[in-house]
Amino acid sequence: MERVFEIIINGLSTGAIYSLLALGFVLIFKSTGILNFAQGELAMVGAFVCFTFASQLQLPYLLAFLIALGIGAVLGAFIDLLFFRRMVGEPVFATIMITVGLASILTSAAGIIWGHDVHAIRAPFTDKTLEVGNVVLTHGSLITVGVSLLLFVVFMLFFNRSLLGVAMRGTAEDPDTAGLMGINVNKIHMAAWAIGTLVAAVAGIFLADQSFVRLSMSHTGIKAMAAAILGGMESIRGAVVGGLAIGLIEGFAANYLSGAEVGGFHFGDVKEVAAFVVMIVVLMIRPHGIFGREKVERV
Amino acid sequence: MLKIANLETVYSDVILALKGISLEVPPGMIVALLGANGAGKTTTINTVCGIRKALDLTVEDGSIEFEGESINDMKPHQIVSLGIVQVPEGRRIFAELTVDENLVIGSYSATNRRDFAQRKENVHNYFPILKQRANQRAGYLSGGEQQMLAIARALVASPKLIILDEPSLGLAPLVVAEIFGIIERINKQEDVAILLVEQNANVALAISHFGYILETGRVVLEGPTEQLRENKDIREFYLGLTEVGTKKSFRDVKHYRRRKRWLS
Repeated sequence: MERVFEIIINGLSTGAIYSLLALGFVLIFKSTGILNFAQGELAMVGAFVCFTFASQLQLPYLLAFLIALGIGAVLGAFIDLLFFRRMVGEPVFATIMITVGLASILTSAAGIIWGHDVHAIRAPFTDKTLEVGNVVLTHGSLITVGVSLLLFVVFMLFFNRSLLGVAMRGTAEDPDTAGLMGINVNKIHMAAWAIGTLVAAVAGIFLADQSFVRLSMSHTGIKAMAAAILGGMESIRGAVVGGLAIGLIEGFAANYLSGAEVGGFHFGDVKEVAAFVVMIVVLMIRPHGIFGREKVERV
Repeated sequence: MLKIANLETVYSDVILALKGISLEVPPGMIVALLGANGAGKTTTINTVCGIRKALDLTVEDGSIEFEGESINDMKPHQIVSLGIVQVPEGRRIFAELTVDENLVIGSYSATNRRDFAQRKENVHNYFPILKQRANQRAGYLSGGEQQMLAIARALVASPKLIILDEPSLGLAPLVVAEIFGIIERINKQEDVAILLVEQNANVALAISHFGYILETGRVVLEGPTEQLRENKDIREFYLGLTEVGTKKSFRDVKHYRRRKRWLS
């Protein structure tokens, strides 16, 4: 029983990171209509920036964390200014390919700046644990889950209650008409990129706490994309549920399926595959994801 | 209030859409801009609203002034903040958002957020159906309700000038009558000027004070509505009215020649 509980907790804390990354995806997609394949890379850059300030420059962890978020937001705004401002209204494939290219550029740039070594960030909560009965919980995983739930609530309120949030959703649906309503579409897109990249940086830093800071951590972005699609690409709720679901599925698959033998057939490391299998099955039943809605088509 | 003088615009550097039109919308008036397809109605209002880049539209000559200020080079959102709001052709409501959220976006340009509830209520007075449908997704409204929402979305910004682009498009005559009645009420009660772009001359001339007739990028006729309604050519070409009891044939009309006279 305790084992199950631990799997759930660990699954949730990995899942919370997927959720955060997926949240960034959804934020950018919801407001600009761009599917950002560079989300994982942006998270990696965020983690490296935090590492630079916290470990190399020896600043207090919280300060380094906030600086990384700030730099993340500026980077996001800059990316919008440089690449996507002139891509408004251009074909979807062109914008997607730009994000794919951006992903490679970010990885190489990070390689040049920070090198290819593996680093770790020492956070004040690293290696600290909390014991509830026989179950051991790390502070890191609790904070990760807490922060991702907090951001979830903040963004739900933001998109449904605030003027800027509603304007962002409107702009995503029809930028031209949004302009006619007095919305500065460029500003909205810039804000979306800034916020999306900031959230990616949060995810990257928490991911670094659970593992290491290295270039390959950007691969988590693919799973986050699976999480976002599973939840329904345009749904904040979906991003969080999808992320947590994929984290849990991975946890259980790693513990119960990996290495198991059924009728002479050996399962290898199915952890990596399990999440995608579930995603495919869910999409076959609900093509728009768990919380996705079909577009209203009415002429 | 809005003053367009000698406006000439070109699409993609070659197609001359407006060949020097001049028109004026005085405060508190309903001005109708009539014309067939391709006359340049939508080009005119897109130019006024600053939607030029997306359409590859450039102003070659002429000026657009709003309350004495030149708005030739302004961006769409800057023009909205001056108090000109467009109700676009084909309604273009945000189908994925709820009716209420559409109104919230409509009020985006208003700097004073505190009286939003009051303005929304005011809009609900004109369009009670929008209150009933407040939390429904706008895409599921009927065509008439969508047109009402599009007008409400413009009105909630408390503009000085509303530009309506073919509000009668695709609506049943009864619904058109209802909506035009409301437009007239809005004009009277809210002290807002309206530039009404229409193909349906009948309904447009019924509520407007002044009218311009546009043909292939030129203003061919203008005048107070009562005069236009009495004009023989307009009665025939736009209102479909002929002398009672006389049988008409195309040969008698020679309308082609009469029309040609307008354009030369």
